[in-house]
Amino acid sequence: MRNVLTMFGRELRSYFYSPIAYIVLTVFTLINGYTFWLIVAALNNPRFPVEGSPMQFFFGGTIFFYLTLSLIASVVTMRLLAEEKKSGTIEVLMTAPVRDTEVIAAKYLSALAFYAILWLPTLAYVAILKTQSSPDLGPVASGYLGSLLLGAMFLSIGAFASTLTKNQIVSAVFTFIVLTMIWTVGFLDGIFEDPAWKALISYVNVFRHFDNFGKGIVDTRALVYYLSTALFFLFLAVKVIDSRKWR
Amino acid sequence: MIRVENLVKRYGRTVGVDGISFHVKKGEILGFLGPNGAGKSTTMRILTCFMPADSGNATVAGHDVFRESLDVRRNVGYLPENAPLYPDMRVDEYLAYRAKLKGLRGRAVRRGLSNVIDKCGIGEARHRIAGQLSKGYRQRVALAEALLGSPKVLILDEPTIGLDPNQVRKVRELIKELGGEYTILLSTHILPEIEALCGRVIIINNGRIAALDTPAGLTSRMHGATAVMAEIKGDAPAVTEGLRRVKGVGDVTLEREDSFNLFRVTSRGNTDVREGIFNAAVSKGWAMRELRLEIVSLEDIFVHITTNEAAPEPGEDAR
Repeated sequence: MRNVLTMFGRELRSYFYSPIAYIVLTVFTLINGYTFWLIVAALNNPRFPVEGSPMQFFFGGTIFFYLTLSLIASVVTMRLLAEEKKSGTIEVLMTAPVRDTEVIAAKYLSALAFYAILWLPTLAYVAILKTQSSPDLGPVASGYLGSLLLGAMFLSIGAFASTLTKNQIVSAVFTFIVLTMIWTVGFLDGIFEDPAWKALISYVNVFRHFDNFGKGIVDTRALVYYLSTALFFLFLAVKVIDSRKWR
Repeated sequence: MIRVENLVKRYGRTVGVDGISFHVKKGEILGFLGPNGAGKSTTMRILTCFMPADSGNATVAGHDVFRESLDVRRNVGYLPENAPLYPDMRVDEYLAYRAKLKGLRGRAVRRGLSNVIDKCGIGEARHRIAGQLSKGYRQRVALAEALLGSPKVLILDEPTIGLDPNQVRKVRELIKELGGEYTILLSTHILPEIEALCGRVIIINNGRIAALDTPAGLTSRMHGATAVMAEIKGDAPAVTEGLRRVKGVGDVTLEREDSFNLFRVTSRGNTDVREGIFNAAVSKGWAMRELRLEIVSLEDIFVHITTNEAAPEPGEDAR
């Protein structure tokens, strides 16, 4: 556990040593700001047919949300192991008395922590809304929780991809494609008639799981879905790292 | 301290290491010598638990490399080839991080840090960013890292590569100092380094051990004895015959015919025949203008063993 903390600290700090952190932070904040403005503008338009609170739309209500998260998860995780492999530091790391699970756990948690930090500026939107109205804070809190959980799942896929290659770009592109495939599955909902397929798609459907969080409902099924998927990919990541020792 | 038995590692169809066995005693410095791609780094990576062997056994500090990987790693300080460092970290920050991973806590981290920084002479660089260091500093920072936590065994893959002559001397002195206290396995293709540092040498070629002996043992085994080159004026067959009669002389060959003939005289056993040759020349009245001892250097042995040449031509007496 101490090893995890030690490595976690280094990993998290190393995000801020590179310009990537600041670029990601800037892009993320810009896109969120744009999305937020768009939502507020649309809701203020009397011809807009839907009722709801801005934060409900902000969390998972637009395509920007999923697109941005896919992009962010790809970029945030791409360096985790690919960079170590490229620079050869993996050899120093894996010959230290640390377990493979500790390495993956520390790296993954650092990505998750950085991802959580990325969301902090959006708290300003809540503050802005509070000056103009009295938003219901329950759904806002569950929206953040949902975003964190969805992020946890997306980042695990990115961490797994980063164990596969020494090229960070390959890792990012691979992650982005897989994530996009996963969340666009929801669009296929209307295409299939077969109940078995419908059930499968409905289970994988990220939109359906996420919807409730925006409304203020924390559904355990969604919780299980995100966390089990995350654990599954982290398990695969550990196995990939471990695989160099198979004989 | 290190025991290796029949280690085999293949990369696809090519063989990295092919049935290597050796052991290193406590406090010994064992040199690993071989051309690039001979299997030195592969063996070291297996011993540091970075990769497994396909077959064979290895124990380091009494722990099995395959089954007790964590115990082995706790007891080994490893300097990999090319001394990889995190380019974005400061030297002291990196060393402190590694010290913590090696289980040092609190005050022990600071003490360990100042100890290895001192030993490796990197005090000036301790606040610099690793990515901006020169090769010599990187190498020494990585060496300092290997020393952290006082491991029982040091495995150093080309520790002096990329250093300038002064730094090479310092690092060699350091390694020599560490021998005795630590058990050291080091690889190099710099031959004088082996002769200066190592109690025993393994010459490895194509994944197999080609020779395992002390540097001196290798030298004498190689040639049986030393050779003397003598340039003597006079009738060649007569001089040859006269030289053969000198006590301790094994064989005499005429190397070059000129106004002064060049003879190559080998001795039986380890006797020095120069005095006998001188006395013979004086008593027979031969004019002699050169008498020099030729010693087979480790370099000759290395070249001989790793290329499949016939008997090597001993070089100058220059080590």
